Amino acid sequence: MNQQIRTIAELDRVIHEPGRLMIAALLFAVDRADFLYLQHETGMNKGTLSSHISRLEEARYVEVVKTYRGKVPQTLLRLTGAGRKAFEQYRRNVKEAL
Amino acid sequence: MQSDAGATNMSQVQSLLKRPALYDNIDGVGELAIGFMCLGYVLYGWLNMHAAENSVWQNTYAFLAYVAVMLSIIHFGGKAIKNRITYRRTGFVAYRRDKYWVPMAIAVTVSVLVAAGMYLTVRRHWDVSTPVLLIGLGFAALYIGFARTVRWKWAMFAVMVAGPFVIAALPADIVETFANHTDLTSALTAKVVGAFWLTFLVYGAVLMVSGGISFWLYIRHTQAPAQEGQ
Repeated sequence: MNQQIRTIAELDRVIHEPGRLMIAALLFAVDRADFLYLQHETGMNKGTLSSHISRLEEARYVEVVKTYRGKVPQTLLRLTGAGRKAFEQYRRNVKEAL
Repeated sequence: MQSDAGATNMSQVQSLLKRPALYDNIDGVGELAIGFMCLGYVLYGWLNMHAAENSVWQNTYAFLAYVAVMLSIIHFGGKAIKNRITYRRTGFVAYRRDKYWVPMAIAVTVSVLVAAGMYLTVRRHWDVSTPVLLIGLGFAALYIGFARTVRWKWAMFAVMVAGPFVIAALPADIVETFANHTDLTSALTAKVVGAFWLTFLVYGAVLMVSGGISFWLYIRHTQAPAQEGQ
């Protein structure tokens, strides 16, 4: 197997999924954002977005904090250190593979 | 933006990485803040030039107090709009602190250069009537950051570019009228002071209009979701 193909095979499948890639890219550029912001920017519905976030949380790439803004519940999300490294590695691998 | 295979394209990832920065002015608050500040300085300049001699408007401490009040209105007003409108409609974002260093370093450098330039101008009695007009073009260049996000803002950019040339073409006595024919120093003649004042007026007014339209469009095209949580 040549190096290029090996790089493609090594792509992180958690981040490679387009929906999760969008979430990771948006969170990579900020310190933290809430669920509503991600919903607005990605155009996903609540169910789909929740399921992608759960998958990222399972992989310990995203940290989720439930809080309140005034009386309104708010879900804050932040990319963890591992998530940032995984996203940077993913970008490097894709660039190498293309 | 839908979740599809095309999103894996790296150029689309690059554009996603830029979206949070653009989101900061999605409601036009950034433009309104800078426009308000420019018009605030225009108002103070007007009061300073037209008030009676030794009035409170010619006092340095009064100027500092005025700036403090103006900046407080911008800071707390902007925060209130974000908290009460933007975050409720399209979500909350906290930016990385390291991202603030570059704009802050640029702002400090520009401030120091402008202050040094003003000092030398006054001390060496340079004629700065032409460089003053370049400030207007500098303002227009800064606006490109806003104009890149939405097409109609290029019309505002055109007004900003045209502004300094129109001011330059105005007869000197009209420009001097805006400065109440007041020479601050031999370098800052009434014509220069008037040109400064008009440049800030044009830039502030255009930014207020541009920010106002952005805010109106934002309110029109977004609405807060039902409050069962986010």
